[in-house]
Amino acid sequence: MDFESPDVMKDFPGLYASEIHKTKSNDPEYSDDAEKVTKKDILIGKRKDKKDKKDKERGYAALEGESSAEESYEVRSPSKSKKSKSFKFPTKSREKREKSREKDKEVTEKKKDKDKRTDKKIEKDKEKCKLEKKEKRIKSEDWCDIGEVLPIFGVSLKLAIEHGRCHDGIDLPVPVRACIEYIEDYGLSFENVYKVSGPKSKVLHLKKLYNQREHVNLLDYDVPTVTSLLKMFLRDLPEPVFTSDLLIRFEEAGAILNVAVREKHLKILVGNLPESNRLLLSWIIVHLYNVTLNERCNKMNVQNIALCLSSTLQTSQRLLTSLLFHCPALFPNTVLEHYVYPLTSTSQLPDDPEVMEQELLKQESLLAQIHSEMNVGFISKQREELLWEVQRIITQLKRKLKTAHKDREMLFEKIDEQHVEETVENEAERSTTPTISSEAEVQSECVEETRVIETDATAEAPVSDAKLSDSSSCEKSSLKEVEPPEVPVSVPENKLLNNALALLQIKNTFLNNLKESF
Amino acid sequence: MSKKPVTQPALHKVIMVGSGGVGKSALTLQFMYDEFVEDYEPTKADSYRKKILLDGEEVQIDILDTAGQEDYAAIRDNYFRSGEGFLCIFSITEDESFQATQDFREQILRVKNDENIPFLLVGNKCDLEERRKVTYQEASDRAKQWGVTYVETSAKTREHVDKVFFDLMREIRARKMEENKTNNGRGKDKNKRKKIKCVIL
Repeated sequence: MDFESPDVMKDFPGLYASEIHKTKSNDPEYSDDAEKVTKKDILIGKRKDKKDKKDKERGYAALEGESSAEESYEVRSPSKSKKSKSFKFPTKSREKREKSREKDKEVTEKKKDKDKRTDKKIEKDKEKCKLEKKEKRIKSEDWCDIGEVLPIFGVSLKLAIEHGRCHDGIDLPVPVRACIEYIEDYGLSFENVYKVSGPKSKVLHLKKLYNQREHVNLLDYDVPTVTSLLKMFLRDLPEPVFTSDLLIRFEEAGAILNVAVREKHLKILVGNLPESNRLLLSWIIVHLYNVTLNERCNKMNVQNIALCLSSTLQTSQRLLTSLLFHCPALFPNTVLEHYVYPLTSTSQLPDDPEVMEQELLKQESLLAQIHSEMNVGFISKQREELLWEVQRIITQLKRKLKTAHKDREMLFEKIDEQHVEETVENEAERSTTPTISSEAEVQSECVEETRVIETDATAEAPVSDAKLSDSSSCEKSSLKEVEPPEVPVSVPENKLLNNALALLQIKNTFLNNLKESF
Repeated sequence: MSKKPVTQPALHKVIMVGSGGVGKSALTLQFMYDEFVEDYEPTKADSYRKKILLDGEEVQIDILDTAGQEDYAAIRDNYFRSGEGFLCIFSITEDESFQATQDFREQILRVKNDENIPFLLVGNKCDLEERRKVTYQEASDRAKQWGVTYVETSAKTREHVDKVFFDLMREIRARKMEENKTNNGRGKDKNKRKKIKCVIL
């Protein structure tokens, strides 16, 4: 030890003093020597003594001080006691004994305190347990657990899609669809979109809501919050969108200087991605590309976007830049379709059979998801309510579809029947029409008159129109003999038309005769 | 609506169970829409809601028509759990369907864990007397053994169709009243009481 040389001690007395203390405390036998040193070495003496005194005073203070310093005293005591011998022998031991007694007392007291505390702790634990039980009860009722066991955030893409399924056939997690949709609608002209981040508390709250499958209305939030949420989802993915296997190759391809070669390589790599990864990547790149297209409004050009999102996507800026650059070529068919949630019981069912069938698929997908979640153990009253509701909608849709199909079939059948009837009627026309008309003449004149005018008008209209309008009332007209003029009009054949015209002429003359007579 | 819980009609959840082809859907459709469908189409699961007058009181009935086939047994438990009353149906023309009611009864008791769950044993197709395979006595003995009522119905002629649904709903209502009483008797949790009131009224 170079410090032991007197020169050094002269130069750095403080250092030396502290050194002595250390050695003292470390080696109790050294204490007497240390005393000698303090007495002999006058050069250092004054300062050192002061220091020692100070230190010892401190120690003493600690010894005699408040009981709160108990523990520190305990630690120091072995060395201190030896030190103290050199200064205050008689009092110290007594004091020490007293102290020790006090200590014991205090220790017992402390123990008691501790016991009390532990008691309290136990009580608290009990309370906690109760609370937890209550929570669990609530959880079992309110499906709180679902966010912990089947989360959408922080799991692999495959699971995220499974847990947060969109029921319209585009398999992306619901929050991704919702965020992209929202930003496409409201965020493209937002200045520094994706650069500005939203308040973490809000983002976390949204994440929680999505994880717990609760209804989220993003319109209640602002653009930065939604962009942050999307970024959080992407960041939380355990594996990059490009997959761990292909990421390096993606990076290599992104670094290719030749534009055409780069595009070709990127295209191949995108093709090699698993289906779900490709879909997610395509949506994100196309969406970010749309953002950069609005550079003038949002100030986010390709470089800025790449800077803001490269870490989120766990890639380099260069790769992201080149993906954005090649976006139209890489993802020509990606359309960011709006996700329409499955209908609820409050909304009206569609009337168009095609829309109904689409809705039915959605509802069935939703139902399957509810069943699978229930089978895992997420059973709550609300869940069961939802199960019945979805089932009811499905039943209604099926019924409606059935009737729609039946109606269609009926319509076709009617048209077929119509043709048959027409041909039959054609043959029977000459014999039946006169009798019908004669019967019709018995009816009141006013009605007849208007009818005649109507039929006059329709007679001139194209035959197809007349046929259409008549096809629905075909059954009625055949049943009711009151409407004779319509029958001949509906028949396309020339002969029939001639018949009709002849009939009308007869009628007109008859009416004229009547009028004259009046 | 929450301010006036009185206006919200009570909702009773009824589940139709039984083997395939015994007429669960036919009974349901007859009750719901007064229609009888001749052509058989296996049901996976269907759910209906209807507002009706039960002894002068307006109530809603939720009917869940389940699959008779074992293929859909996996999803059946999810439905059974939420049912408040069960119509266990068999065809009087088919002994197997009658034997199967035993399994259905056990399943329901297992899921609901309640011996006194509102339950009716229903022998359907009673219009086909000439093809009867299960005697009235046989069926009513089993019902007695279970402590439930036995009713014979015909979805075709609408005989006793309303009766089974209304009887079951009365049982459900009585059961709920009972539960309500015991809960009120405890009277520990105000919120709980309120909640239950909401449901009942």
